[in-house]
Amino acid sequence: MLEIRRIFERRLLLLQLIGLLLPLLLAARLLDLQWIQHRGLLEKAERNRVNIVPVPPTRGEIVDRHGRGLAVNHISWRLTLIPERVEHLEATLKRLQGMLGWSNARLRRLRARIRRARPDRPVLLADKLDWSQAAPIAARLYAMPGVDVRVGTHRFYPFGALTSHLIGYLSLAGPEDVRAGVLPTEKVGRSGVERLFEDRLHGKPGAQYEEVDAHGRRVDVFKRIPPVMGQRVRLALDARLQQAAARALGDRAGAVVALDVNTGEVLALLSQPGFAPNRFITGLETEQWQAWVNDPRHPLLNRALQAAFPPASTFKLLVGLAGLRRGAPLATASTQCEGFLELADRKLRCWKRTGHGRVNLHKAIVESCDVYFYELGDQLGMPAISEEAARWGFGQHTGIRLGPEATGTVPGPRKRAGRRWRHWFRGETMITAIGQGEVTATPLQLARFAAAIANGGRLLAPNLLADAPPRVTRALDVSPAQLAIIRRAMRDVVANPHGTAHAALRGLPWPAAGKTGTAQVIAKAQDVKGSDAKTLSYLHRDHAWFVGFAPVDKPRIAFAVFVEHGGHGGSAAAPVAAALLRAAAAESKQAQPLASRERAR
Amino acid sequence: MMDTLKRMDAVLLLCLACLAALGLTTLYAAVHQGGLHLWHRQIIYWLTGMAGFLAVCFTPLRAAGLLAWPAYALALLALALVPLVGQVQMGARRWLDLGAFHVQPSELMKWALMLALAHWFASRDAASKKNAAVAVAMIAMPAGLIIIQPDLGTTLVLAAAGAVMLVAAGLPWRWAAGGLGLMLAALPFVWQHMHAYQKQRVLTFLNPQSDPLGAGYHVIQSMIAIGSGGIFGKGFLHGTQARLHFLPEQHTDFIFAVLAEEGGFVAASVLLLLYVVMIARILAIARRAATRFGSLICIGVATIFTLYAAINIGMVTGVLPVVGVPLPFVSYGGSALLTMLLALGLVMRVAIESRGRVYWQRPGSPLA
Repeated sequence: MLEIRRIFERRLLLLQLIGLLLPLLLAARLLDLQWIQHRGLLEKAERNRVNIVPVPPTRGEIVDRHGRGLAVNHISWRLTLIPERVEHLEATLKRLQGMLGWSNARLRRLRARIRRARPDRPVLLADKLDWSQAAPIAARLYAMPGVDVRVGTHRFYPFGALTSHLIGYLSLAGPEDVRAGVLPTEKVGRSGVERLFEDRLHGKPGAQYEEVDAHGRRVDVFKRIPPVMGQRVRLALDARLQQAAARALGDRAGAVVALDVNTGEVLALLSQPGFAPNRFITGLETEQWQAWVNDPRHPLLNRALQAAFPPASTFKLLVGLAGLRRGAPLATASTQCEGFLELADRKLRCWKRTGHGRVNLHKAIVESCDVYFYELGDQLGMPAISEEAARWGFGQHTGIRLGPEATGTVPGPRKRAGRRWRHWFRGETMITAIGQGEVTATPLQLARFAAAIANGGRLLAPNLLADAPPRVTRALDVSPAQLAIIRRAMRDVVANPHGTAHAALRGLPWPAAGKTGTAQVIAKAQDVKGSDAKTLSYLHRDHAWFVGFAPVDKPRIAFAVFVEHGGHGGSAAAPVAAALLRAAAAESKQAQPLASRERAR
Repeated sequence: MMDTLKRMDAVLLLCLACLAALGLTTLYAAVHQGGLHLWHRQIIYWLTGMAGFLAVCFTPLRAAGLLAWPAYALALLALALVPLVGQVQMGARRWLDLGAFHVQPSELMKWALMLALAHWFASRDAASKKNAAVAVAMIAMPAGLIIIQPDLGTTLVLAAAGAVMLVAAGLPWRWAAGGLGLMLAALPFVWQHMHAYQKQRVLTFLNPQSDPLGAGYHVIQSMIAIGSGGIFGKGFLHGTQARLHFLPEQHTDFIFAVLAEEGGFVAASVLLLLYVVMIARILAIARRAATRFGSLICIGVATIFTLYAAINIGMVTGVLPVVGVPLPFVSYGGSALLTMLLALGLVMRVAIESRGRVYWQRPGSPLA
């Protein structure tokens, strides 16, 4: 054979070998992908294809004891965006801005929110859209990949500011909430009942498994896990009482707490001024938040439990109880009130300059004589007063757990002076005995105190929920006879024509018992003439208190009314209590059928 | 007539039939969602191509020898015209507008060069310096014209096919090694003159994850498609990567991924096996061809098929950079299918003209 033919045959053989080797190499690569890497790549293919769309649960409603909606859900449309599916983010946002009329500031905030968010999860751009806003967007979704409009619900607070502190507000889930399993598009309770019962109200998100194509368009829904609805929370609150109290309070700052005497159920819990909780729902503007924070009237402060004030003369009830229990001589005797008490170089005044004359415990409570209690406090001493205050729950949390609760202050048995401890000066003890100086309390604590007086000494934890079993913080060892003395005196504060609240609470359907208080805001010189409320600037005016219970013989409701810078307890606070009690009496007439209907449903 | 038909290589025909079936089935899966008009058109291309195949089978090989040089000259002229009047697509000037249809001269040149080289070495030995030099010039001229278009992929296919034919024609190994060394030395120079998009392709190939949504997207998605198919595949028309369009270019360059996703390793192996049998058969025909011209044609065709299939599959499996090369007999496209069927017709004609075990006995040939 020719040499050239032999070379050709050899090279042909080589080519044939290469022709076999190449496919073997490719087959090896295929095995690598389809066998060794199969699991990982299959997972990637599934992740490509499956879009798990979280379905937010519907938040449970909050209703009052008669089923009136306090926090309800309205249907609305939510606008979301999945960053990684958006082709032209800026153009898309601009387009939406044109359709929804967003401000540039809002657009900036949304951009920041999108930057922070996970690119594969929906980011909430707007909710609470009505159909007229949502429809044009829905019609143009095809031109804006990654944008979605879905029907959902938004929170609405029918009573607005009236229940703002109690119910609280929601805001968009933050990073910690998301870590805890909440969807980033969901709202979470930030204060009040919304926060306290978040677990119950929230429900559990469901999911929709959607098949999407490479352009992110939904092709099919192949699996659906329905969300678990949040539970309805029925509060013990009676919205009518809350309304009546608010109406009586008008535009004055203050707080009203009403408790069921026997169960500790919170029937009213009002703090004024309130804020507009519905403003939080669409995403609060920073300016609005700043305005609320900087408002000198502190609308975000829940005065019913987050702030403590001098209880003033309402504290005399406690000093009286201490005197009776400890057997202080004056508790069962009487003293002479000349309008002042001289103590060394000081002159402690009674509010009634002309003096009350002969005063015993009963008259001292009814007419709120300061001199009597200066002397009684002096006999008891600070340790006895502070021990009694602690017994009745002052200086402690009530256990309502509604946000950061103030404890108020109860003077300790001894006072720290510099590095050393020293005993209280007599003057300090005397001032404390009329509820000024060293002692402060929240309206909630005073309402609970009044409830305990009315129910025979059971100190209850305030109960926000309807039908929840009462929680007794402490059953006090207190003599019924001694309690009766105090109760009788409280009754005569209202019933006796000389009583400090007689004018305001006359002729109520439910005869009430109580105690007024007028707390000095600053230590004003007691001798200044014309120190009546009107001539003083607002911030220097006295706080007004009225604390009590009703009906007298069979107590059902205990209350504390606090009017900030309101002036006198009898004239400023007691009328609010009157309005509250009128509403309570009216409700108890209608409520029976209403409540039974509710149960039947 | 009957004699010609009887002398056709049955194995090759069977391979072709199987490839047609597998190719059309795969194409169906790739295009069925967008309507079947592409699929119908491909069937028409197949029918047209088979007519051409048969026509070539009944044409004496001498005609191909006569056509070799004019075809080469024409293709070279067309290539030279491209930079002057060509159409620009994606930064490259590759197409000539001939009114009714567009022609890619570089595509023509592959086959013309193969024919011309086969004819050049039909009666010459590549061990001669002069013969080899002419052959290298025949390869270098079109390669130079194509690389300035620029079209790196076609240039490489062309150069590789030419090189293989040179080697088959008996180019001494020393020279081959020298040429290879020269080309490697020229690489940095080529890199400097590459377009940005070509550099990007090479870089993306080296690290596809560097740009998963941009240049690397195609390869990543095709690897996901292939790998997720597993051994037995997801089933016909059930490939999610294909059905939901995560797979790009799935009816043309990336159609192998559709096959591998829906048919798994099994179907992909069947395709590889068909290629192996077909190439081996073509090389067997090269061995028993009556003339050296016929042998070299077979080697050229086998080389181009092999390069196409290997580059395409290497590309979609992520072991080679993305180069626009069709998968023979499977990818959608009329002109590629037509030229490949015509080439296969040439091979079949070589088989028809081969007689028994007597090789290269053309009378008057210095090699006979």
